[in-house]
Amino acid sequence: MALLAVENLSVGYHTRKGFLKSVQGVSFSLAEGESLGLVGESGCGKTTIGMSLMGLLPENAAVTGGKILFEGTDLLQLSKTEIRQVRWKKIAMIFQAAMNALNPVHRVSEQIAEAILAHHADISEEAALKQVESLFQVVGIPPDRMRDYPHQYSGGMKQRAIIAMALSCNPSLIIADEPTTALDVIVQDQILTAIKDFQKRLNICLIFISHDIAVVADVCDSIGIMFAGQLVEYGNVKDVFDTPMHPYTQTLLASYLTLDKDFVQLNSNPGKIPDLINPTAGCRFSERCALADAACSLNTPEWVEISPTHKALCSRFK
Amino acid sequence: MKDPNTVIVQLERISKTFQTRTSFLTGPPKGVVALNRVSFEILRGEIFGLVGESGSGKTTTGRLMVKLETPDSGKLWVDGNDITQIKGRNLKKFRRKVQMIFQDPYQSLNPYLSVFESVSEPLIVHNVGDSKTRKDRVRQSLHAVGLSPPDDLFYRYPHQMSGGQRQRIAIARAMVLEPEFVVADEPTSMLDASIAIHIFNILSELRKKFKVTFLFITHSLAAARYLCDRIAVIYKGEIVETGPAEDIIQNPQHPYTQALIQAHPRFRHAIKRNITRSRRT
Ligand SMILES: Nc1ncnc2c1ncn2[C@@H]1O[C@H](COP(=O)(O)OP(=O)(O)OP(=O)(O)O)[C@@H](O)[C@H]1O
Ligand SMILES: Nc1ncnc2c1ncn2[C@@H]1O[C@H](COP(=O)(O)OP(=O)(O)OP(=O)(O)O)[C@@H](O)[C@H]1O
Ligand code: SF4
Ligand SMILES: [Mg+2]
Ligand SMILES: [Mg+2]
Repeated sequence: MALLAVENLSVGYHTRKGFLKSVQGVSFSLAEGESLGLVGESGCGKTTIGMSLMGLLPENAAVTGGKILFEGTDLLQLSKTEIRQVRWKKIAMIFQAAMNALNPVHRVSEQIAEAILAHHADISEEAALKQVESLFQVVGIPPDRMRDYPHQYSGGMKQRAIIAMALSCNPSLIIADEPTTALDVIVQDQILTAIKDFQKRLNICLIFISHDIAVVADVCDSIGIMFAGQLVEYGNVKDVFDTPMHPYTQTLLASYLTLDKDFVQLNSNPGKIPDLINPTAGCRFSERCALADAACSLNTPEWVEISPTHKALCSRFK
Repeated sequence: MKDPNTVIVQLERISKTFQTRTSFLTGPPKGVVALNRVSFEILRGEIFGLVGESGSGKTTTGRLMVKLETPDSGKLWVDGNDITQIKGRNLKKFRRKVQMIFQDPYQSLNPYLSVFESVSEPLIVHNVGDSKTRKDRVRQSLHAVGLSPPDDLFYRYPHQMSGGQRQRIAIARAMVLEPEFVVADEPTSMLDASIAIHIFNILSELRKKFKVTFLFITHSLAAARYLCDRIAVIYKGEIVETGPAEDIIQNPQHPYTQALIQAHPRFRHAIKRNITRSRRT
């Protein structure tokens, strides 16, 4: 059985202009120890999905449909007290704004020790601090900086401390929302290796949210590409990268800056932000799609199975 | 000081140490050396990249240039001013011409200001235009960073926006005054590849059209190569090499630069093959 199965999840926010449908009909599943990458344009709903899994959506948000089955239980049906038994202990999240989640008036090491103590009544303070030390080693913060205050850390160091914090309660699912964006490629590489390592070793499930498609290719087993609140391509990492089908996926890959290729000037015009209050019935990517025809903006695209482990939401494949 | 018509920013042996407070139990205060005798110059109208690892002193360098931090020693001229000395009316003029796009939009945007208030604030502070002109300028600025139609976002607050949307608000806010020199601290770290390219192209265009000079802070050599004329690689508070981006990538001298190139994310071969294939079709 899948550890996590998200079925047809739809989430939106009440705004002054109307109800903004941030996530629409998203489905995916994860077996124990598996990792899924969620990639997509800024504002496409990645964080909203993460927050829904944590039961931490803000007050103006509403889940309008779907299920989040975790170990067979629908998290959306749990009471506030029940979800607290799951949050952090079983599902942890590294927030996108993580760099600011550290409390400025406490030493970093103490904050993480506190998180450990809060969830494990049987651990001594000393043992907790020891555990913090080994977590810091995993993420690469030198021991003599452990007792610093957050403002004394660079952006990257703060991010590393936050990753250590998420690991501290031994969760079975970690949602990492852009965990390496503030890091340089060398540290990023180290952290990704560390994440892959603990993920496989401890058999933790990972949802890895990133706008960096190469990072996801490196870390994850499967990948979901999102655009304007919907998944548009989903499958095994190898399949998706070997044969990217959706035009948006192809745009993402073509815009990726590497050092290997010769320098090329790229064109990109995102145009308008997709209207999520009154979304078009047709394909949401049609305004930017090079392959779009008249039918695309009228007909609702359907999922097309490319292989048993790979599908895309585009009406041109039928 | 060199001729400010050609050299807009000039750093000479700039050093900066931060004191970190430790309690009397754990020993005397330690100093963190953020910058150690850093020297380089930025030419007017160029996009200069500062590339280096986390904690190497990039943000500190940027903050010094916009006078949010003062050096312990060394000389620093920006736009013809010795900015360690600048005061009064000159300082106000300086603040208008020089802007910084902060690294972390979660921290730099005032949570109590709506998008419109945030982006128009600099115009109000510097007494630019009447309310109609200001509205137009805000619209243009938001449109330029791909937040279009802008009016839809006017009354949103930062917590009602995604990370990448906040980042673009921060860029719009810095650009709305049409500054001459901009420190852009990792301005696209939260944006997907295709929007990042869009922003880079906008910055390039601003440079071409209005001769805006940029210090572009990044940890991505590939992004620096795409955008910058010249780059400096900073390592543990010291500049280890400076030159045209392409030269440094083709022929890195310092072991740290070599490591940077080595660690740059690349797709596995199969994947790379595919990008070229899907481009051709
Ligand atoms: N509290 C809120 N109120 C209203 N709208 C919101 C709120 N939070 C997010 N949104 C909107 O919902 C959409 C999805 O936001 P979300 O934060 O999930 O995007 P994301 O995919 O994580 O983007 P990014 O990569 O830029 O962080 C965006 O259009 C955003 O503006
Ligand atoms: N206010 C401060 N007090 C103490 N130390 C500081 C302060 N600001 C920065 N530092 C330290 O100075 C060094 C350089 O920091 P800086 O923020 O300039 O690095 P950076 O290159 O921008 O890193 P990143 O890529 O992670 O943002 C780091 O070791 C940091 O911890
Ligand atoms: S449905 Fe049409 S517009 Fe949408 S991605 Fe496919 S080809 Fe492009
Ligand atoms: Mg997000
Ligand atoms: Mg920085």
